[in-house]
Amino acid sequence: MNGDNRQLEQELDRLFAAYRDACEAPEAGADFLPRMWGRIEAAQSWTERFWKWANRLAVAAAAASVLMVVLQLAGQPRADFYSATYLETLMAQTEAETAPIELAGVPAEAPLESPQR
Amino acid sequence: MLVDFDIVERAQAGDAQAFNQIVHAYRRRIFGTVSRLIGRPEDVEDVAQEVFIRLYYSLDQLRSPEVFEPWLYRLTVNAALDYLRKRRKRKLEARVADLSEQQVMMADAAAGSKAQVDEKEKSRIRELVDSLLSGVSEEDRLLLTLKEVEGLSLKELEKIYRVNENALKVRLFRARQRVLRAYAARRAGEGPERTGR
Repeated sequence: MNGDNRQLEQELDRLFAAYRDACEAPEAGADFLPRMWGRIEAAQSWTERFWKWANRLAVAAAAASVLMVVLQLAGQPRADFYSATYLETLMAQTEAETAPIELAGVPAEAPLESPQR
Repeated sequence: MLVDFDIVERAQAGDAQAFNQIVHAYRRRIFGTVSRLIGRPEDVEDVAQEVFIRLYYSLDQLRSPEVFEPWLYRLTVNAALDYLRKRRKRKLEARVADLSEQQVMMADAAAGSKAQVDEKEKSRIRELVDSLLSGVSEEDRLLLTLKEVEGLSLKELEKIYRVNENALKVRLFRARQRVLRAYAARRAGEGPERTGR
């Protein structure tokens, strides 16, 4: 059994060697190199186009980001609103609520008198 | 190495002339390897071209010119595998006895001269080995072909596949055992027959 196996192994080795000889490499065509360079250049031009577009897209995205930042800053409320403390804000609100009501054409300081008959 | 290290370095630096020298030096070897890996002579040139194009684009990733050959073999194996996967997808996979048109024409033309008898014999061997190798996965078939047919050492395969020697040994052993069993079955079915030379 072992001897048979060894014989088979040897036959297989010989078969692989014969296979190597039987598979002759085809000769390269005369246009092998020009075609290869053609494919490389085609791929390169595609890559270049892709990078050009990618760069343009990146520039446009950066410009849009800057514009959005500017717009956001311009639309922000005045800074002094935020600089007031909570107490100051509360006081300002209380003052506004307790201020005398000013009627149209009537000065606020003028006492309200009952009409004399 | 079929080219000097400095040519590889020049090609890495973008020298087209140096790259052409590499292609000239390795073209025949790559054609042979691709031919044995994919088994379809009519597609060998395309796959070989793909190997060199991949080489062109990946040369800058090569750490040192000393590992250039394993690198090139790696690209060859990957290109062959990609080709085989695409072919399988297209359901055009060559079966064991599915000879290419060129081979069929050659077989038809065979008629009696010594050269023709030789060609018939070569064709029979190709058919037999392709048939035996079809019993293992494409990855294992490629590995086995590189080892048994191309004659690469385990050290070289280790560099190409970037796996340790023991893992390769196990994989090769299993694949070879499968092929051996298929060969034994064929021998038992056909009776004594010439094998190879």
